[in-house]
Amino acid sequence: MEEINGILREEEIRLAHECIGRALSLGADKVRITLNKSLMELFGTLNGELDKVNHCLDRSMSICLFVNGRFGSFSTNRLVEEELDNFLSRSIAMVRMLAEDPCRDLPDPSRTCMNAKSGLELGLYDPAYPGINSDMRLKLALDSSIFMNHKGEDLISEEGEYSDSIFDTYVIDSNGLECRHTETSFEYGVEMTVQDAEGNRFSGYWWDSAPVFKDLKALSCGETALQRARAQIGPIKVQGGEYTMVVDSENSSRLLTPVTNALGAFALQQKNSFLLDSLGKKIFPEWMDVIDKPHAAGQTGSRLFDSEGVATRETPVIEGGIIKEYFVNTYMAAKMGIAPTIEDVIRPVIPPCTAPGLERPEKLDRNGIMNMVGEGILVTGFNGGNSNSATGDFSFGVEGFLFKDGKIVHPVREMLITGNLITLWNNLLAAGDDARPCKSKLIPTLAFGKVYFSA
Amino acid sequence: MFKEERYYLDLFQVTKEQLAALACKGLGEGGSYCDLFFENTTYHDLLLRDGIVSSGGFHIDYGVGIRVLKGDRTGYAYSESTDSKSMAEAVMAASKIAMGSSSSNMVKPECPAATAESILASLRLSTADGTGHLRHATVKIEDFYPYVNDWREAEASQFVPSLEKLQQSISSRDSRVLKVIVSLSDQVSDIMMFNSLGELTFDSRPMGTLAVSVVFSQDGRIENKTVSRSYRTGNEMISEALLEEIAAEAVSGIDERFGARRPKGGQMPVVMGAGASGILLHEAMGHAFEADFNRKGQSIFSGRIGQKVCNEDISIVDDGTIKGNRGAVNFDDEGVRGQKTFMVRNGVLESYLHDRISAAHFGVSPTGNGRRESFRYAPIPRMRATYMLSGSAEKEGIISSVKKGIYVDQFSNGQVQIGEGDFTFFVKSGFLIEDGRLTMPVKDINIIGNGPQALADIIAVGNDLKVDEGAWTCGKGQSCPVSCGIPTVLIKNLTVGGE
Repeated sequence: MEEINGILREEEIRLAHECIGRALSLGADKVRITLNKSLMELFGTLNGELDKVNHCLDRSMSICLFVNGRFGSFSTNRLVEEELDNFLSRSIAMVRMLAEDPCRDLPDPSRTCMNAKSGLELGLYDPAYPGINSDMRLKLALDSSIFMNHKGEDLISEEGEYSDSIFDTYVIDSNGLECRHTETSFEYGVEMTVQDAEGNRFSGYWWDSAPVFKDLKALSCGETALQRARAQIGPIKVQGGEYTMVVDSENSSRLLTPVTNALGAFALQQKNSFLLDSLGKKIFPEWMDVIDKPHAAGQTGSRLFDSEGVATRETPVIEGGIIKEYFVNTYMAAKMGIAPTIEDVIRPVIPPCTAPGLERPEKLDRNGIMNMVGEGILVTGFNGGNSNSATGDFSFGVEGFLFKDGKIVHPVREMLITGNLITLWNNLLAAGDDARPCKSKLIPTLAFGKVYFSA
Repeated sequence: MFKEERYYLDLFQVTKEQLAALACKGLGEGGSYCDLFFENTTYHDLLLRDGIVSSGGFHIDYGVGIRVLKGDRTGYAYSESTDSKSMAEAVMAASKIAMGSSSSNMVKPECPAATAESILASLRLSTADGTGHLRHATVKIEDFYPYVNDWREAEASQFVPSLEKLQQSISSRDSRVLKVIVSLSDQVSDIMMFNSLGELTFDSRPMGTLAVSVVFSQDGRIENKTVSRSYRTGNEMISEALLEEIAAEAVSGIDERFGARRPKGGQMPVVMGAGASGILLHEAMGHAFEADFNRKGQSIFSGRIGQKVCNEDISIVDDGTIKGNRGAVNFDDEGVRGQKTFMVRNGVLESYLHDRISAAHFGVSPTGNGRRESFRYAPIPRMRATYMLSGSAEKEGIISSVKKGIYVDQFSNGQVQIGEGDFTFFVKSGFLIEDGRLTMPVKDINIIGNGPQALADIIAVGNDLKVDEGAWTCGKGQSCPVSCGIPTVLIKNLTVGGE
């Protein structure tokens, strides 16, 4: 690959290898080094005029040291050869002050990634990237603005951002691990603020992202964001109570994240998980599947290895409602006395499904699902909230629309949903086929029955 | 804390002449203002898990952020090296902002308004005493975070016994304690700022945070609790008194938590307990007062300066001058002196929170709210310590005035929609109020309301202002340490999540 900013250079890679040798010679037993480098260029507009330009070049080295049964984690962005010896010496001295922990170790080499040598294996690097210059970025940012098309209407402000980035990471360890991941990303996002006749403001946001420049759909974002802002004009407050809830694919991952977090070993080992002792048990409805698909070539979010260099793999996380996978890194596996897997879900996918008794429509997108369930509340945004990691109890602020006969009737706001995550997912009525490919979590429109709304 | 000028210049390996030349170069494409933000931050962390301190490390972050303004527009670039070539490249990247969006703006001016010599001359006028200060300042600057012991000079082994003692103290207080995680993180940032007005400013900012996460088990049920304390101070903050305070709080209210239930949801009066309830001000009002949102016309408070927005007993400030407070700033990240800003005084909206851009836009002085996460980010208006001044009511009287409602006192997070003004915050614990008395404990509920409406709906303000000392971090595209506070207040109507 040609040398461009944002791509690790040979001398930086050489330095990383030298640091492994130096750390070992200074007393470390084992070492892992991660080099990260990235470049992000951003052109932002306000009401159709250039408003900001950002140029962000980052480079850092992270070092995990295993010394006399002890462990420490260090990083620096001062990749100056003369300073690194001192940095390593201080790091090793600090590790020696910590308590011994026999569970700390590098991953077994048999588990590590062997097929990520060039960083390009997943097809996430756009060869056109080096040819994109400031003029092109500025033009795309300005061309994507629709402010002038709507001047004099209800539009108060349009704030758009085009950005592209290249990210290069390189992981090596003293057991011989060597793997690399290089990706480009192109993104446009825009927020529209409109005002109604009474002066109330409503905002709408839309964005798109792609690993390849030509796949970015920037020009349509403005109209979508404006439509989302205008659709909120004239909200009503509905009566609190149980409703069927449809969550659009822009927001549905919010409900899966606490579930996958609860399957992480850091929560499980600390008994701070509502999915304790759930492996192999049926916790969710049999029509619910979650699959980790980290190897999809050219798709956002794909990765061949985790931060330890452990090879990822396509694996069921939840299958037929049964928990099939905990996310366990090398350290937690030793502490818990179980087999290690990978440290976290990489690219979760929920396949389309419908609950028994529901007639599956031809098109299982947002509108198809609303038609199928008839009436309820469509959630198009979350506003704060949280969940209790130990109990799964949640309460989220939501905004969206009341719908009847499959059609939107009114925008609603200042509403809260409250319940328990296990109960919520057991009331899953449908998962759509409309996950957004620009997201790293492929979660489609979801529908749930019997969700309690406070209003 | 301020160190000598030489310390900062040597640390970043630059001279005043270089600074002036870079600032001048930043204006070379037609920019109207240029500033440089140098940062060297060292972070340390220690973690106790399962009874041993077996994880720790440190991290170094060094670089310079360079900003060029053209009117309201911002060009920003940074470099992780302060060698001449890297900084010159960053200046050139930032100065692209002057390219403009139309061909007429792309004409390069023949003669920049400022020259390196004129900037340097201004600098020399202003740095005679060699301390961190504003240009033309001759008085000694008060330090809002003096410290005795620099975190960077301490050994990790010095703190290990304290972490172990805190864990043991928590475990010994309640037999239901199942797991304890104790974390200590500290950082010191050396900051040097220079701009094309010739203002050279220095600051060294400490921060220490001690936090615990405790998991309890009772009859097969699990509950958790987190407690933190965070201060801009040196490692003298680690004291017996602090360990005792955190341990006591970590196990307090656990009976109630196991006995807590979700209340019936709906609209009801809410009494916000003194202290951490200040999250209400942060989310419901503070963000909407940040002047970038108002400059762009996006905030629900846009155009309301001078208007009465709430009861005349209410005054709300954003304050960077509380000594040792997590939100304190000697200078903001644009070199503007830390100060106390009245957002609302006696019920009237008095000021937005400004950085230099919004201040110029509105024709007012910056309020010292231009803050950033690090040299990687351009500064934007951010809060510091946001709180409401005490009123005259007694806490007990406020609670007893509520027939049916809810009292809340512990929180985990919040959020706001700037345009609509709808805010939420998540309540970890509280109580139902029935017939003027605290009754059933409640937990894990979200509360939602509308900022201007909630402000107007505050009908009682207690005399017990408390500024919370937890590790609050505000996320607005970039993280910033803040704090919040409030006396006990009664809001006559908010929507409470429940079943």
